[in-house]
Amino acid sequence: MMRPRTVNLLTVIALSIALSSVLLQSPHTSVHAAADQVTFNRQIAPIIYNHCSSCHHPGGAGPFSLLTYADARRWGTVIENVTQSRFMPPWLPAPGYGSFADDRRLPDEDVQLIKKWVTAGMPEGDPADAPKPPVYSTDWVLGPPDLILKVPLPMQVPPSGTDLFQNFILPVPITQTKYVRAMEIKPGAPRVVHHANIIVDRTASLRHQHPNDWQEGIPGMEVMFDSGDTFDPDSHFLFWKPDTPALIEPEGMPWRLDPGNDLVLNMHLKPTGKPETVQATVGLYFTNKPPVAHPMLLQLEDDAALDIPAGDPHFVIEDHLKLPVAVDVLGVYPHAHYLGKKLEGYAILPGGEKKWLILIPNWDIDRQSVYRYKSPIFLPKGSVIYMRYTYDNSAANIHNPNSPPIRVRAGNRSVDEMGHLWLQVLPQPIPNSDEDPRLLLEQAWMENRLSKDPNDETALYNLASVKMSESDFTFATDLYRRILTGSPEDTRTLTALGTALDKDGNWEGAESEYQKALVSDSQYADAHFDLAQLYFKHNSYAAAEQEYRSLLVEDPKDAAAHNGLGAVLLATNRIAEAQNEFQAAISFDPDSFDALYNLASIEASDKNYPQAIGLLQQALKQKNDADAHQLLGSIYIQSGRLGDALQQFKVVQELRPQDPLPHRQLAQLYDQIGQLNDAIRELNAALALEPGNADDWNNLGVLQARAGNTAAARKDFEHALTLDPQHAAARANLARL
Amino acid sequence: MYLPGYNRILSTQNVMRRCCIAVLFVVGFLTAAEVCKAYDLQALFGYSLNGQPVSALAYPDTKAVVLFFAATDCPICNRYIPEMQSLENKYAAQHVVFWYVYPNVGETIASVRRHERDFGMEQHVLLDPHHQIVDFVRASITPEVAVLVPEQSAAEQFRVLYHGRIDNRYIQIGLQRPSPTRFDLEQAIEDVLQHRPVQQADGPPVGCEIMGQP
Repeated sequence: MMRPRTVNLLTVIALSIALSSVLLQSPHTSVHAAADQVTFNRQIAPIIYNHCSSCHHPGGAGPFSLLTYADARRWGTVIENVTQSRFMPPWLPAPGYGSFADDRRLPDEDVQLIKKWVTAGMPEGDPADAPKPPVYSTDWVLGPPDLILKVPLPMQVPPSGTDLFQNFILPVPITQTKYVRAMEIKPGAPRVVHHANIIVDRTASLRHQHPNDWQEGIPGMEVMFDSGDTFDPDSHFLFWKPDTPALIEPEGMPWRLDPGNDLVLNMHLKPTGKPETVQATVGLYFTNKPPVAHPMLLQLEDDAALDIPAGDPHFVIEDHLKLPVAVDVLGVYPHAHYLGKKLEGYAILPGGEKKWLILIPNWDIDRQSVYRYKSPIFLPKGSVIYMRYTYDNSAANIHNPNSPPIRVRAGNRSVDEMGHLWLQVLPQPIPNSDEDPRLLLEQAWMENRLSKDPNDETALYNLASVKMSESDFTFATDLYRRILTGSPEDTRTLTALGTALDKDGNWEGAESEYQKALVSDSQYADAHFDLAQLYFKHNSYAAAEQEYRSLLVEDPKDAAAHNGLGAVLLATNRIAEAQNEFQAAISFDPDSFDALYNLASIEASDKNYPQAIGLLQQALKQKNDADAHQLLGSIYIQSGRLGDALQQFKVVQELRPQDPLPHRQLAQLYDQIGQLNDAIRELNAALALEPGNADDWNNLGVLQARAGNTAAARKDFEHALTLDPQHAAARANLARL
Repeated sequence: MYLPGYNRILSTQNVMRRCCIAVLFVVGFLTAAEVCKAYDLQALFGYSLNGQPVSALAYPDTKAVVLFFAATDCPICNRYIPEMQSLENKYAAQHVVFWYVYPNVGETIASVRRHERDFGMEQHVLLDPHHQIVDFVRASITPEVAVLVPEQSAAEQFRVLYHGRIDNRYIQIGLQRPSPTRFDLEQAIEDVLQHRPVQQADGPPVGCEIMGQP
C-alpha cells in the first residue's frame, strides 16, 4: 500500500509546484514536475508505438490492437505483466552476447516506466504530448511485387489442439533465372501464423515426393530436401515472423531462383479458438544484378548425441567446427524443440580470445527467430565455432511435451528434440587462389559430421560432391563406395559413382554403375540420361539413341533428352531429324542453351546466318559462353560484319584469358581490316601464352614485314626456324625479305 | 463452501424479479432497465443477447451450473472456447448447464453476438456489466470458471463449489504447457456429480483482467 500513497503525495506536490509555477513564472520547476509523472501521452505511447504496435494493430499478428489510450488502458496490466516477465516484446538473446540488428529487447527504463504508469492508475496525460499513432497498411510494404505466388489450396486450421507445422509448396512460374532482393509474405490469417521458414527446393523434391496431394501442403516440423547434384549451398536465412513482413537482403546479396525451383513455406500455426483459414501469399522483388557476394549457411549439431534420459534436468550436447577460411558471420539461427533450455554459441579465435555469437538463457521455441548482426562478426581462419546446448527433460520444464517425461532422441516431430546452430557466413576470398572458399567450408563441415558419425550418408555424399568439383574423382569414388556399403541399392549414389568413374576415365566401370542404378530403379531418369551421355561420348550412338528415346517415352517433354537425341542424330548425319529434336527441345525449354547452340550450328552450316545469329543471341542470354561467342564471331565474318565479329572475339579472349587462340583470331581479323599494329599486338599476346608456336612466329614475321619492320621480321622468321627447322613458309619468307 | 456474496445476490434476485417482470409487459426492456435503475436495482443475472434480463441459471433438474467468464477480445479466453464447448457437450446429458458470462465494461450485445458468430453459438450467454456474478464468485480474470450447485431449497440459490482456472495449461502469460496435465474444471464437475469433496486448483487462472468501470 506504500505505492499509491507515494503517488498521491507526488500528485499533491506536482499540483502545488504547478500552481506555484503559474504564480512565480518558474519554468524550471514546472519542467521538473512534469517530468516526474508518467502519462500515456508523454512516455508510454512512444514505447508502445515503437515496440508493440507493429504487431498489435488491426489486421496485425498481435491478438489485440495497441494504438490508442483506450487500448493501452484495456491491456495495461497485461502489458505490465508481460514486460516485467520479458515475454514481450519477443526477444530471446541475452544482452551483451552479440549485437543484433532489429534488437527488440525493451530497455530496462521503459519496463520500469510501464510499471510506474500502471501503478499510478494509467493516467492519459496532456493530449498535447500525444505522438501520432503509426499507420499500417494492408498493401505490400515494398510496393507491387514483381511476382506474386499463392499457396494452391487454403488450409483449415481447427479451433483447438496442439500447434501445427505445415509445409506449403509454391511452384515458381519463371522461365529464366531470377535474383530476389526482397520477399514479402502475407500469411492470410496473421493471428494464426506464428512464424515461417522459407526453403528454396532446388529440385522440387518435396512436390515430387507427394505427387497427388502436394497442393494441400505436407505436415511436419522439419522436412528433408534434395538439393541436387551441383555444389550450391544454401546461402540465406529466409525466416519470416509477423513483425518483419518484408525480408530485404543486403546490397549485392540477392538469392537465386531458377526455373524448376519451388518455394516451400514451413509454417508454424497456432489454433485461436475458432476455425481459421490460412492461404499465404508471397511477393517477390527481383533485381537484374546477380549477387557479388556469396554467403553460405553452416550448421553445428550433434543429433547423434541427443539421447536425453527421462527426467534429466541438465543434458548437454556440444559441437565445434574449425574454420578453414576467414569468414564474416552475418546472422545466426539457433534451433531446438521444447526441451531446449540454454543455448550458447561462441567462437574461440586463434589467439585464444572468446567471441560470443549468441546466448539464449531461456529458450522458447515459440519465440524462435533468426538474428542478424548489427555489423558482421569477423572470424579469422583457424577460429573454432562452438555450440553448447542444455536440455531439461524433467517434469519441471513446463514446455516438456511428454507427461510424464520419457527418453527423447533427435527427430523431426515436435515430441522429438533437435539441437542446431545455423550461421550465415560470408567467406573471405582465399589469398592467391581462385578456389571457392565455400568448398573448403563445406569440406570442413562434412568432415566434422563424419568425425561424429563415420557412416553419415549425407555428409559422405556432400563431401563427395566437393571432391567432384575439385576434380578429385578418385576420392569421390571412394566416398560413394562407402555410402554403397551401407545402402547398396541407392540409385542416386550409384549414378553419382558412375559419373565419378566416367570422369576418372573408367567408362566401363561407369556404365556398370549406371546399369546397377537402373536395376535398382528402371525409371530413374538421371541414370538413363548419364548413360546416354556416356554412350554418346564414346561414340556408341545406337546405344545412346536408345537411352534418349526411352527417356522420351517416359517424358515426351524432356527438353534435355530431345537435345541429347538431336546431338546423336547430328553425329550420325541425320541433320533434318536432329533439327527437329533441337526445335522440340527449345519448344519445351526456350532457354535451353545447348539446344539453341546446336540448332544455331546447323543453321550456320546451312548458311541461314540471320536464324543462326538469332539463336546464338538467345543462347548467350542464358550463358556467357565462349563457344557461342566464337561461333557467333565466325558467322559475323561469313556475313561480312567484321566489326561485330571483332566484338565477339574480344569477349572470347576475355573468357579464355589463358588461351592463345582468340588472340590469333583477333590478329587475323585486325589484319583483314587493316589495323596492322593491333594485329601485331594480338599475335605477340598469343606468343606470350604459347612461345613455342612456330606458325605464330612466322605470321608475326609477315605482319612485321608488311609494317616495314624488316629487322624484326627477320628475327621472327629465324625464331620460327629455330623452333621448326622444317618450317617451309618461314624459310621462303626469310628468303623473300 | 459459502461465499459472502451468496446472500446478496439472492436478495437482489428476489426484488429484481418483481420489479422487472411487472414493467416488462408494459413498456419493454429499455424502459424496464431504466425503471430498475431508478430503483437502484440491477438485472437478475445480467442480460441475455436479446437484451432480456436473465432470471434463471438452472432448470429444475440441473445438477450443476458452470460459469465461464469470457471476453470477446481476450486471446487466451478464445483458445479455451473449444474446450468449454466439448465439456458442455460431454456433461449436457448429466444436467450440467454452462453459461458464458461476459462481464467486461464495454462489451455490447453486438460485440458478443459477433464473437459468438465467429466462435460458435451458445445456448446460454449473458452480459454481466454490473458485475453481480463477478462479485458473487469473486472472478477477476477471463477465462475463469465457477461451478455452482443449486440449493435444494430454492432454484435460484447457489453454492459456489469451485472457482478458478480451467486447467493448468497456462502458468503465466507467455508460459504454457503444450497440453494441460491437470483438468481442474473437469475434475470439479466430476467431483460435484459424484458428491465428492471438490478439489481446488493449485494455481491461479491466467488471462485478461476483468474490466470494471474506469
